[in-house]
Amino acid sequence: MRKIWNFHGGVHPNENKTQSNQLPILAMPTPKQLVLPLSQHIGKSAKAIVMAGDYVLKGQLIGCAQGFVSANIHAPSSGYVSELGQRTLPHQSALAGACIVIDTDGKDQWIGLTPVSDPASLSKPDLLNLIEAAGIIGMGGAGFPSVVKLQPKSDINTLIINAAECEPYITADDRLMREYADQIIIGIEILQQLIGQPICLIGVEDNKPEAIAALNDAIDQRLDQKTGQKSVQHRNIEVCPIPTKYPSGGEKQLIEILTGQQVPYKGIPADIGIVCHNVGTVKAIFDAIVLGQPLIKRITTVTGKAALNAGNYEVLIGTPVADLLNFAKVDLTQTSRLVMGGPMMGFTIQDTQTPLVKGSNCILAAADLELAPVADHHSCIRCGQCEVACPVDLLPQQLFWFAKAEEFDKAQDHNLSDCIECGACAWVCPSQIPLVQYYRYAKGRVKSINSEAHLAELARQRFETREQRLVDEKLAKEEKRKLRAAAAAASQAAKRTANPTLEDPIAAALARVNKKKQEQLTAAAPKSPEQEYKELKTAAAITRTKLKKTSTALANAKALEHEQTASLQHTVDQLTVKAEAAQAQLKAYEAKLGLDPEKEKTLQITVAKTNAAVRKLEKSLTTAADPQTLEKDIITAKTAHQIATQALAKYQDSATVVPVPVPAPAQES
Amino acid sequence: MQTLYLAVVMLALLAVIFGAILGFAAIRFKVDGDPIVDQIDNLLPQTQCGQCGHPGCRPYAEAIASGEAINRCPPGGETTIKALADLLDVEAIPLDAEHGSEAIRTIAYIREDECIGCTKCIQACPVDAILGAAKQMHTVIIDECTGCDLCVEPCPVDCIDMIPVDVTPISWHWQQPEHLIATSMLPHNHGTPDHA
Repeated sequence: MRKIWNFHGGVHPNENKTQSNQLPILAMPTPKQLVLPLSQHIGKSAKAIVMAGDYVLKGQLIGCAQGFVSANIHAPSSGYVSELGQRTLPHQSALAGACIVIDTDGKDQWIGLTPVSDPASLSKPDLLNLIEAAGIIGMGGAGFPSVVKLQPKSDINTLIINAAECEPYITADDRLMREYADQIIIGIEILQQLIGQPICLIGVEDNKPEAIAALNDAIDQRLDQKTGQKSVQHRNIEVCPIPTKYPSGGEKQLIEILTGQQVPYKGIPADIGIVCHNVGTVKAIFDAIVLGQPLIKRITTVTGKAALNAGNYEVLIGTPVADLLNFAKVDLTQTSRLVMGGPMMGFTIQDTQTPLVKGSNCILAAADLELAPVADHHSCIRCGQCEVACPVDLLPQQLFWFAKAEEFDKAQDHNLSDCIECGACAWVCPSQIPLVQYYRYAKGRVKSINSEAHLAELARQRFETREQRLVDEKLAKEEKRKLRAAAAAASQAAKRTANPTLEDPIAAALARVNKKKQEQLTAAAPKSPEQEYKELKTAAAITRTKLKKTSTALANAKALEHEQTASLQHTVDQLTVKAEAAQAQLKAYEAKLGLDPEKEKTLQITVAKTNAAVRKLEKSLTTAADPQTLEKDIITAKTAHQIATQALAKYQDSATVVPVPVPAPAQES
Repeated sequence: MQTLYLAVVMLALLAVIFGAILGFAAIRFKVDGDPIVDQIDNLLPQTQCGQCGHPGCRPYAEAIASGEAINRCPPGGETTIKALADLLDVEAIPLDAEHGSEAIRTIAYIREDECIGCTKCIQACPVDAILGAAKQMHTVIIDECTGCDLCVEPCPVDCIDMIPVDVTPISWHWQQPEHLIATSMLPHNHGTPDHA
């Protein structure tokens, strides 16, 4: 008998297995519709390679794996693809995801299969290819593509088959072992062949004595078949009954129980020479190699008080939960919670159209009070029971505080990532704190924070590269501009040397401009005294008008007591000064020219007066009684007028500003 | 008197020796750049949106290092303010509403049949997340878009939408359980007084 170790913590919830493990596995008839999510596994989702309307055969590849960690998806029955659309996924989030929907035709017609009756004859790569092509993933629930685990980088000395099935209620593996023990043993031999014939330990909890017996019988028969001997020393497959304790079926816990070794922190079992596979996966590998069938069906337990026909059913992948519940006669009116998976690690589903996938091992239709109600939780009383129960040796209470306070750094320092979310801590918690949900929340936040940080880092790099590129472009442009300027100058110089008479265009243009300016200056220089006199007169007149206007405005403002009075007064004062200055300037200029407007005016008035007198006399001549006297007077007046006109003419002759002809600019050029 | 000279000479000698050591250390262990700016920059969300009034996250990091307020980054929100406050050992202050408010994360989406291929959004994108060429349709590389909003305004045909990021089964995570504990459910006098 092999030595069995123990792991820290663990709990003993009621097993509740007998409700479903009494009857043989019953194959469920093909449902009308199958819904196949493209992502049923960890890693990249598969890519649909069929279109709506395509006819598919049972076992035909419909979703192609993308990348190393991914898995193929096959049609579980024949029929038409009705839709590639979004359907509710069997996921904790209950979000919709990409699914292939097949309307089955009931013929269940297989695609051509190539069974291999003697797997030992196949080479390692052939076997791996077959397993990969069959789309096999871990059937225990996590859903890691199996082929990846079958290509370990280090030497493997122990193959562990996980058949513990530690979670309450679930009996799918139990029934599988009882009924397909021989196939499981052949499957194990295939695995041993693949990873270098290590010894194989099958870990089965001791609450499944029938399964243990069935496996031992199968091993004996197989030995008998192969070697004709039943002796224990020829065995390299050993069934190891282990004490029933939750969660002994956790990969790392089972390894510790069977070998006493612990998987290193952040390591994988292969680091210590161990590979672990679920017993359901082994059966799927047998089907894939020996029967040639891809993974299109699995065994699912339907149990709970609301299920009349509780038991294990062979269902096609993609079967909607509603069809299975219907077949197992689940009374939905009595169901208070529908759980996919077990009571410890499963999740509640709302939509009964959710499909069963490769990893769906149980549907628990729990009646009222069968599961602990979702109660309001009390405060933590620091009892420490969670620490005692934790199978990973963590400090659940500390993690709870950190998750609640959102101190994710500290939670990570307390190895949050090692938590397997088994629920043992929450199960023992006297305050009914949903501890696992706190850890899942913290894990989710850590993941999103890390991915955001990663994206931010990429964004930062792109931003900096762009900035650098813009600067470089600017410099390059400047450089180019300089080069172009230099090239232009060189070509000009070359032109000049080739043709010396050619003048520099810039110099010529400058010369033209200068010349023009010069011309304008000379043209403006001589101002005739007449012009100047006129300008002065105009200036004086303008200032006078302005002064007059402003004075009027000032008077008005004063009358209205306007607030602008002061500023107007100021303007008036200034204008008065200006007007006086202009007048003075004008006078000075007149004096300089020898002009006397007063004298001229007087002379003009005299001329006008004498002229008026002559006219008056001539007018009265027609009506006069004494023309002779009048005529005499007229002659006198005419003489006076003549003298006055002569005097004015004389003055004007002497004082008139000599008109200097304004030189026309055109004359000179 | 000789003792005095000796002391003075010895002190002078010591000063020269230590000065030489310090001078050597200053050159040998010279720190290039300002490490605090890098640390601040690492805490900023790198959206490069310019809502803080600086042309990018790094310029804002430099401004913070030289004394600017830490509450001007709406995309980072309270989380960033808290992280900055921890780093700089100052008090966390609420987000400055003048520079915008904390909003859900969005990414840009170009309605492709309306795009005229003007390249204006490409020039505006601070993180090179828009693909396209002159007179060719443009599109946003969703994984690289930081949701900074800077491409929306220059678009002459208004064909860019800011769409909230969808939750996928991959990005989804559990929420914290409600902080409801049984002791807080004791009967309280919630209702209005009885006016019967």
